[in-house]
Amino acid sequence: MPSLVSYIIVSAALLGIGIYGLSVKRNAIRILFAVELIVNAANLNFIAFARYMNPPTVSGQVIVFYSIAAAAMEAAVGLALILVAFRLNSTIDVRKLNKLKG
Amino acid sequence: MDLSVPPDITFVVLTTVTLLAAVMALQAKELIYGAISLAISFIGIAGFFVSLDAPYLAMLQIAVYVGAVVILILFTIMLVRREEADKDEAGETGESAAGLWLAGLLAVSIAGIAALAGPNLPATPPPANLPVSELGPVLAGAYPVPLIILALLLSGALLGALVLAKVDR
Repeated sequence: MPSLVSYIIVSAALLGIGIYGLSVKRNAIRILFAVELIVNAANLNFIAFARYMNPPTVSGQVIVFYSIAAAAMEAAVGLALILVAFRLNSTIDVRKLNKLKG
Repeated sequence: MDLSVPPDITFVVLTTVTLLAAVMALQAKELIYGAISLAISFIGIAGFFVSLDAPYLAMLQIAVYVGAVVILILFTIMLVRREEADKDEAGETGESAAGLWLAGLLAVSIAGIAALAGPNLPATPPPANLPVSELGPVLAGAYPVPLIILALLLSGALLGALVLAKVDR
């Protein structure tokens, strides 16, 4: 099996891709993609660290169980918000959703 | 792990698939293809979970992420008008380059710290016997309160999504 460091590097790369999408993209749905990628990077780290602990523990898996449930509801509420924003402004470009700007 | 192929090859293949699909999810021209790439990336993560002896989490990952979240995203893309959904100009080139620098710096620094700490981190995992049946007692026995809070949070999110998406006539 590969070492723990290789899992951390994969997770860091996934986090980097997510941060790039979060900072550059303008489409609200694509920003949601980026958030999901970041959550997945964190989940991968939890599972990898729990597996490489001595002795191995299932606590990391339990935390990821909670994290997956939380990410699922975040996606549901986020998509409902995007639908409402689209209905009110007929755009999902986050740079144009600036009604709160004074 | 008693796979017929050497484990390192599975790791390399999973890494390639996951990271390429993640990049495709953000860069695909049409948003629908992006959502499908996102599903492939999630399946790659589920493969990592299997290789880390967490088969139940891999199943949950596929059921929740690929089965529910990506399908929800696909429905939203179809509800949002098409030309609007695909519009995704990357902004000024300077902005894009700044995002690339930020993300690259963050990822490289984390990977660098991990590589520096490498000698102190375990190179091979200890032999493990983590049956799925061990997950239940920990979930309901050691952490019962978070489980109940999670249930309340789930129903709250469900109601909230319903109220938000409801059309007033």
